[in-house]
Amino acid sequence: MHVLVLAEHDGDRLRAGTTAALGFSRQLANGDGDQVTCLVLGDSVATVADDAATFGPVLLGSHADLAEPLADRWAEVTAKVVQSESIDILLGASSTFSRDILGRAGGLLGGAMASDVTGFLRDGDRLVWQRPMYAGAVTASVVLHGSPLIVTVRPTAAETPERRSSPASITPISIDSGRLPGSTGHLGLDGRPSHRPDVTEARVVVSGGRGLKTTEDFERLVGGLADRFDGATGSSRALVDAGLTPNDLQVGQTGKVVAPELYIAVGISGAVQHLAGMKNSRVIVAVNSDPHAPIFEVADYGIVGDLYDIVPEMIQHLDAD
Amino acid sequence: MTNALPQTSDVVVVGGGVAGLSTAMQLASRGASVTVLERERLGNGSTGRAAGLLGQLRGSPAATRMLMDGVQIVAELEERANVEIFVQTGSLRVAQTEERAGEIRDLVEMGRGIGFDIDHLPIDEVSSLLPYMRTDDLVDACYCPTDGHLQPAELVAAYLKLGREHGVVYHPGCPVRGLDLTENRVRGVITDHGTISTGVVINAAGPWSYLVAGLVDTPLQTAALGHVYLTTRPDDSHPVDRLSPAIRDRHLRIYSRPESGGLIVGMYGPDAVQHDMAALPDDFDMSSLTVRADDLHVALLIDATKRRFPWIDERTPMTITRGIMTFSPDGKPFCGQRPDFDGLFHCSGFCGHGIVQSPAIGVIMADLVLDGSTGYDIEAIQADRFFDHPGLQDRSDIEAACYQMQAGYYGRIEDGDGGVVDEPAGDGPTS
Amino acid sequence: MSFLVLVPTKRVPDTDGVIRVTPDGLDVDTSHLSFVINPFDAIAVEEALRLRERREDVEVVVVGIGDEAYEDELRTALAMGADRAIRVDAAEPLDPWNVACVLSELARRLEPRLILMGKQAVDDDSAQTGQFLAAKLGWPQATFASRIDDSENGAEVARETDHGIETLSVTWPAVITADLRLNEPRYASLPGILAARGKPIQEMSLQELGIEIQPRVELVGLQQVASQRTVRQVETVTELLECLRENTELF
Repeated sequence: MHVLVLAEHDGDRLRAGTTAALGFSRQLANGDGDQVTCLVLGDSVATVADDAATFGPVLLGSHADLAEPLADRWAEVTAKVVQSESIDILLGASSTFSRDILGRAGGLLGGAMASDVTGFLRDGDRLVWQRPMYAGAVTASVVLHGSPLIVTVRPTAAETPERRSSPASITPISIDSGRLPGSTGHLGLDGRPSHRPDVTEARVVVSGGRGLKTTEDFERLVGGLADRFDGATGSSRALVDAGLTPNDLQVGQTGKVVAPELYIAVGISGAVQHLAGMKNSRVIVAVNSDPHAPIFEVADYGIVGDLYDIVPEMIQHLDAD
Repeated sequence: MTNALPQTSDVVVVGGGVAGLSTAMQLASRGASVTVLERERLGNGSTGRAAGLLGQLRGSPAATRMLMDGVQIVAELEERANVEIFVQTGSLRVAQTEERAGEIRDLVEMGRGIGFDIDHLPIDEVSSLLPYMRTDDLVDACYCPTDGHLQPAELVAAYLKLGREHGVVYHPGCPVRGLDLTENRVRGVITDHGTISTGVVINAAGPWSYLVAGLVDTPLQTAALGHVYLTTRPDDSHPVDRLSPAIRDRHLRIYSRPESGGLIVGMYGPDAVQHDMAALPDDFDMSSLTVRADDLHVALLIDATKRRFPWIDERTPMTITRGIMTFSPDGKPFCGQRPDFDGLFHCSGFCGHGIVQSPAIGVIMADLVLDGSTGYDIEAIQADRFFDHPGLQDRSDIEAACYQMQAGYYGRIEDGDGGVVDEPAGDGPTS
Repeated sequence: MSFLVLVPTKRVPDTDGVIRVTPDGLDVDTSHLSFVINPFDAIAVEEALRLRERREDVEVVVVGIGDEAYEDELRTALAMGADRAIRVDAAEPLDPWNVACVLSELARRLEPRLILMGKQAVDDDSAQTGQFLAAKLGWPQATFASRIDDSENGAEVARETDHGIETLSVTWPAVITADLRLNEPRYASLPGILAARGKPIQEMSLQELGIEIQPRVELVGLQQVASQRTVRQVETVTELLECLRENTELF
């Protein structure tokens, strides 16, 4: 079995999701003669290839026309490599990068694809992939028909593997730039904006409620904690009404409905009107001084105490990491 | 459920909405041991999605007094629980036809007769008070500065806080399966987690209350009818002040109040959805009621809304809130016992006014349970007023009567002979 | 020639419904669920309608692939304002590859300038179909769009990526998939609902399109993920952060 992992990188090193995908690939390709190859694409990305080679063999496609990860070009090159190297499984980390490019490569390679895989089982000769559906309410086991298989894996599905003591080979591939698609152009990347993400889009939302006394406290504690996660701030209706927070932060029945990976409710009692806006979050943490606060009924983790003590301590711990 | 159910309780309240929570708090404050059983979560259900509009001037002095006293009770709650419940925005009623103007004249006259602060408001003043509302089609308006709305979340929080202080025990996630009876006396309440011995059961189950009555085979004349309102998102070009007056426009069948920088607009429309509560699962949550993009009730609501607030249309960013109201055939609740079973007290059928009636209703229910009588005039809300009514014994007859009541709740004026003189606006389809 | 925008829509359970696996572990119990247009597809419908409001020559055609029940959701899109609808009859929901095969055949016949669809369906959460389709057609793609500025020859599209907002230019014809922030879909107006009753829903069979289904994804089992939360009270911040490290993908 030959697994090809498409590298997602920052121009310098592999991103963490890709190293986890390499770890996952080793679990898949652990028999005699099995191999895992990392495909590094970009422009002047020798350092990325060096980084990848500490895990295993690398194919390097470097060309000015690949400077930006445009799906049509990158998928075209990737699919060509899959075909020329007789790849059995094309794999990448679950990310907007992989969903975009591997999805398109999947379309060029016959569409036997599973997204967001969290694990796999061997059932005789077949591989059974586990993946979440219905926003995580259900885990599906699926078998893919066709070849090659295209898989994106969640970063938590595997650990980053050990690096080798001596780097593996780096083999350049030729890029026929004249044959690359050219109807998409890259105009810019507005990197992480300095302001916080919108509350409906962030993976982490830290929300504050009546337990906060002033706008400054909200910014320092709720905002400060959110920033440690590159997250968004949210607010209960009470704080909006009190004029402490702007309207567009309000989470709840008459505000915004959010379902982030992590929701931290700080000093929010958890009226049903607020719960309606956040109860589908994957992990909910509640910080409240009232042990009867209904927020604890929907939380996964609760800590009873004064938010003015607890939140600064959380920020301090996160900074120490 | 975190704690075991008590084995006995002076009173068991079935239903953790405002009616049950207020009653439980008042009973406990007078020394009774009280257990509240709630099928799902406390304060969810109709309470959790109510708009909470408080218009104190009602059709009768008794109903008006109840609401005015409610404001006093809420003031005490606010002080003791340290939350703001009542937002005194004032309220405005508008008329765009001569018939509706007549209604306003009558209302102003009645209000003044009992010393209530109400007066006509010239249309240009309405305009400056509510720059985001269309006024060029109005012929009259009246203004009550002491009206506003109660914030349901804060009201629930206060009932719970004070209830806990008085020792009320709350059991959410605990549906009631049956009532234990000896002949015609209540002896206990049966749940999946055991039976509680009690001599008094309060049926405050809102839309489910007819099912609670049904546990002992007695029809309760309520029906569960769907309701929708919209909340616009804050819009810088049409700012809505937090203290903008509530609006009632009976011609268009709509009501409105400010909410978080936007506007709530709701409608008592034709063709309300009739819900069969028995068909819903134990853990049913009204937030799971689907709102399709082509929902006819929503379209009717938006259509009426844009006639009064022309800047709102179907493209305006908004949230639709869908819920269930408990209607009775005459628009009034049922409070008290009936001749069939001693110890079974009903407290239901608030027809969309449960939030604002709950403060006084809690006092009335506690009076009835502990003293057997109350100083309030409760003639109109006696629980037994349809007990023997031959036309209101079957579910289908009851539902039809309640449905009629809802359909005419806002948009119908009857002349002295029972004829309709002003059909509501709206040329929408009703099929 | 009109600027035809093709908007594929999927029928999915309302996200507020509780998803329960059937006792045989092979399906989701849909008996108590209500269905809606996939929310991301509704955003695509809305964007197509806004495009039509900006330029006069736009025709918005919505497509559903499924049984007769799909007509409810197509009717919803028509009530929102789509011009016409096509239902490709299929007894079972198809996997992304087969949906892409059907759509690429429709694209060959209808020659849309733009295919606008949700970035993923909220039932299977695959997020593959738009990319498959763009690859099969050889068209440019812009996935996870949060803003579309159209011009005569193409569009500038802002995309939501893990590392910020990327702006791409694409030329027509193109496939664009909609992310949450692209817009907030409208409700249908009363005249819209009435008009939708008279709009055509054209039915097509897979045979007519020359499509033979070749399954790529076989579902062999479904497992319920425990949905009932039980709170774990922690005593210290250290313990709390330890729990978050173990149970989230954020660290």
